[in-house]
Amino acid sequence: MADEINFQEISTVLRNNQQEILQLWITRIVGESRQLVEMAGEENLKRQASGLLDRFIHALANGTDVEGTAFEQVRTSLLSLSDDWAMKEITPTDIVLFIFSMKDSYLSTLQGQYRDPAQLNEIIFAVNRMMDRLGLITLNSFMKRRESIIKEQQRALMELSVPIVKVWDRILMIPLIGILDSSRTQLVMETLLTAIEETQSKVAILDISGIPIVDTLVAKHLLRTVAATKLMGAVCIITGIRSKISQTMIQLGIDLSSVTTRTTMADGLKVAFQLTGIKPFEVPVQ
Amino acid sequence: MAEPREKLFEMPITSDEDVIMARQKVRAIAQQLGFSMLDQTRVVTAVSELGRNIVVHAGKGDMNVFRAEEGERSGISIIFSDNGPGITDVDQALTDGYSSVGSMGLGLKGASRLVDRFDIDSNPGAGTTITITKWL
Repeated sequence: MADEINFQEISTVLRNNQQEILQLWITRIVGESRQLVEMAGEENLKRQASGLLDRFIHALANGTDVEGTAFEQVRTSLLSLSDDWAMKEITPTDIVLFIFSMKDSYLSTLQGQYRDPAQLNEIIFAVNRMMDRLGLITLNSFMKRRESIIKEQQRALMELSVPIVKVWDRILMIPLIGILDSSRTQLVMETLLTAIEETQSKVAILDISGIPIVDTLVAKHLLRTVAATKLMGAVCIITGIRSKISQTMIQLGIDLSSVTTRTTMADGLKVAFQLTGIKPFEVPVQ
Repeated sequence: MAEPREKLFEMPITSDEDVIMARQKVRAIAQQLGFSMLDQTRVVTAVSELGRNIVVHAGKGDMNVFRAEEGERSGISIIFSDNGPGITDVDQALTDGYSSVGSMGLGLKGASRLVDRFDIDSNPGAGTTITITKWL
């Protein structure tokens, strides 16, 4: 083995050829991934590449551990880059391409400087390994950001999906939409019961016309919600059971005969008026 | 048993999300094959029950969708298979109201009523394979 690798010297070599390396790098990025250029914007990309290269060369003079303090600035810019890109729906492939194409761009500079094949090999190997690690760090943070975006969206959807409408004095309506899985049903039940308590409502109309399938799990959840409502002294009416759903439910063996059901919201509302003794159409107009 | 002819779709089922995906795929296929809205709902509900059974009882399994043909008639065949614990007493599992896990106990028998053919092959420790067929 030759002498210890002098990273400070490599850093200087790269610094002296920084513009050329950057140019090569950007040419490669533009050539390899049109999509990345389109999504991130060419100017942005150039700026990010330039900043990253600058910090990398700087870090190289001060240390070799990419997880260490010398590389802190490099990591910071990589993390902000991956955050930025995760929002723009840029693919992991593009991220990897972006980082790894830098390897090719400093190759010729190093080849020009180090003539001894063994030494050159060793240096390229060492620097490339740093780049690999940096690539992994970026990809990791990119994935984490993606996951958190998906979780945020899921939460947003969950909250969206349980609107409680106060349609009349002491009458609530909950239009259920989409897929009623266990966690959503839990949310529906909690939201409904809280709303009943807060508004002192006597009737809750659960409209399921937006639910594509009522299988035994959904039915079980509905029945539980009805039972819980009953415990609070209120009545739960289920509306919006379409004909194909009702036929399917019967064949499936689901028994909702203990529950007040109506085909339409309007009919459900009439029942609610009867139950609460409200006569909405006889209120004198003032 | 009806001879499934052409495989239209396959997917692993390991989670509730997979069950939802399976439902959506089967609905699209049933629609394409020309099933009525009512029959689509029946088949998809059966898929929901049987898919969830895989998740609850076996943890993981597979769904394979075929175009079914028998003489003049054609339809859809769906095979649910898993390597789970299997069913000790198939007759009991097919009884309304029986459940080993605290559900309504209607899923298996209910699903069988929603389709035209329902074949179940299960032995304790040897997994379960259920084939459902609905004719157009």
